[in-house]
Amino acid sequence: MSAFIKDLIELPFLQNAVLAGILCSIASGIVGTWVVLRRITYIAAAISHCILGGLGAARYFSVVYDLPWLRPVYGAIFTALAAALTIGIISLRAKEREDTVISALWAIGMAVGVLFIFKTPGYNEDLMSYLFGNILMVSREDLFLIGALDVVVVALTLTFYSQTLAVCFDEEFARTRGMAVEFYYLLLLCLTALTVVLTVSVVGIIMVIALLSLPVAIASRFFDRVWKIMAASMLLGIFFTLTGLAVSYTPNLPSGAVTIVMAGLTYLMTLVFSALKKPVQKTPTA
Amino acid sequence: MSSADIVVRFKDVNFAYEDGITVLESINLELEKGEFACIVGPNGGGKTTMIRLMLGLLKPTSGSIEILGGKPRERCQHVGYVPQFSKFDASFPVSVLDVVLMGCMQRSFFMGRYSKTQKEQAQQALADVGLKDMAFRSFADLSGGQKQRALIARALMSEPQLLLLDEPTASVDVHGTEQFYRMFSEMNEKFTIVMVSHDIGFVAASVKSVICVRKTMQIHPVSELTGESLQKMYGLDVHLIRHDHRCTEKGHVCPHS
Repeated sequence: MSAFIKDLIELPFLQNAVLAGILCSIASGIVGTWVVLRRITYIAAAISHCILGGLGAARYFSVVYDLPWLRPVYGAIFTALAAALTIGIISLRAKEREDTVISALWAIGMAVGVLFIFKTPGYNEDLMSYLFGNILMVSREDLFLIGALDVVVVALTLTFYSQTLAVCFDEEFARTRGMAVEFYYLLLLCLTALTVVLTVSVVGIIMVIALLSLPVAIASRFFDRVWKIMAASMLLGIFFTLTGLAVSYTPNLPSGAVTIVMAGLTYLMTLVFSALKKPVQKTPTA
Repeated sequence: MSSADIVVRFKDVNFAYEDGITVLESINLELEKGEFACIVGPNGGGKTTMIRLMLGLLKPTSGSIEILGGKPRERCQHVGYVPQFSKFDASFPVSVLDVVLMGCMQRSFFMGRYSKTQKEQAQQALADVGLKDMAFRSFADLSGGQKQRALIARALMSEPQLLLLDEPTASVDVHGTEQFYRMFSEMNEKFTIVMVSHDIGFVAASVKSVICVRKTMQIHPVSELTGESLQKMYGLDVHLIRHDHRCTEKGHVCPHS
């Protein structure tokens, strides 16, 4: 741990990692709360797995056609948004079996990614960092991108907070008020897509959904307002990513996995804690 | 009766779901301003479908529906809707005031926060439904009846000319149900009310008309539904519906045919 702090002061890549963890936690705290309340964690997981297709394709074209400006993250953003809109439109139109379609997209996205990565000349070690994340590889450029996406997520959430709340609480009523329910749903999915792209750099495609939902699950046990849950989830996210980073540093463990284990253990502890203690009587907040 | 005073008009309305099962068949209905109508009928008979058609959430397969002199989707700003509270996520983290303020939502994009006027209006709506001082409680902590009241307050925020309620007393005890009907009667002085109900026994007390839906529809002014008029209306068939026959202080009433 002390080695981590000493290196943190000296090594820029470690500073980048810490900043990335903080910036990602802001977006994932906000969007994760909506995702959990709207009960679309499954859709968020599907979007994150589709990203592999975009990452793989962008890297393939970048290497094979010598396009250095085409960074894998651009492919990820494009694929995530495309997947979000496709799934969104399917789930709005289709009355049933939408889970089948979502699962299919989930798997197809992964398969396309694996094929592109397989055909890309050179080492394929990137596959592992896409799947499980490598926060230590985050560059200055990545940080600017993460920061920009953060600004978009925060600005849109502040602008449409009341509307999103109304749609998440009672979609049918919102419809009777003449609200553009579909618009808010697709907007939320797009925000989810962008957040997932950010979070992939921290914990990887496979574990994104845990970082989106576990802090919210913990925070929901202690707070009974949406904005409080968002704030608490952000802080929890920051705590998990930073402790994950610090704990994994010296023994050289994958930091994404350590982060998720920390979050999972904390969640289990809150479950045990509230099982031992009788359900807390919520006091009215005046 | 001029057409301006017709709040709800169904003309030859048929409705079938995509799987082809007909839910409503040749419904013709006109409800005047100030009406307090109760839709009754067996489960799956099309009660909720009628409410959803009035809200414009569903479109009729054929026929036309006019609400407040226009298409349901266009007039929905003036229609208050109170769904059943039981369909909500019981632990959704919002305050009662948050829920009521959702009634201010409109088609237009308004940015950011609710205005002071809207918040005052929400407090007034809460007082109107008997939830004064409950504004900052968690919606999740309210009892079933209180949740239902909060949802009614939410519907009042749009200053409706027509209030549609889907089984508002579904999980409220008998005493609570009486209070609800007293509240509805007061509200009925200001606007038209249409509700779906299972509480057939209470319907007769404050409801003006009963709409009986079972694929097809019949409307009965409550006071006319004496045993004698029933016999006239149904002739020999009267025996088929006697199981719904109820005795009240107003005489024999059959709200549910």
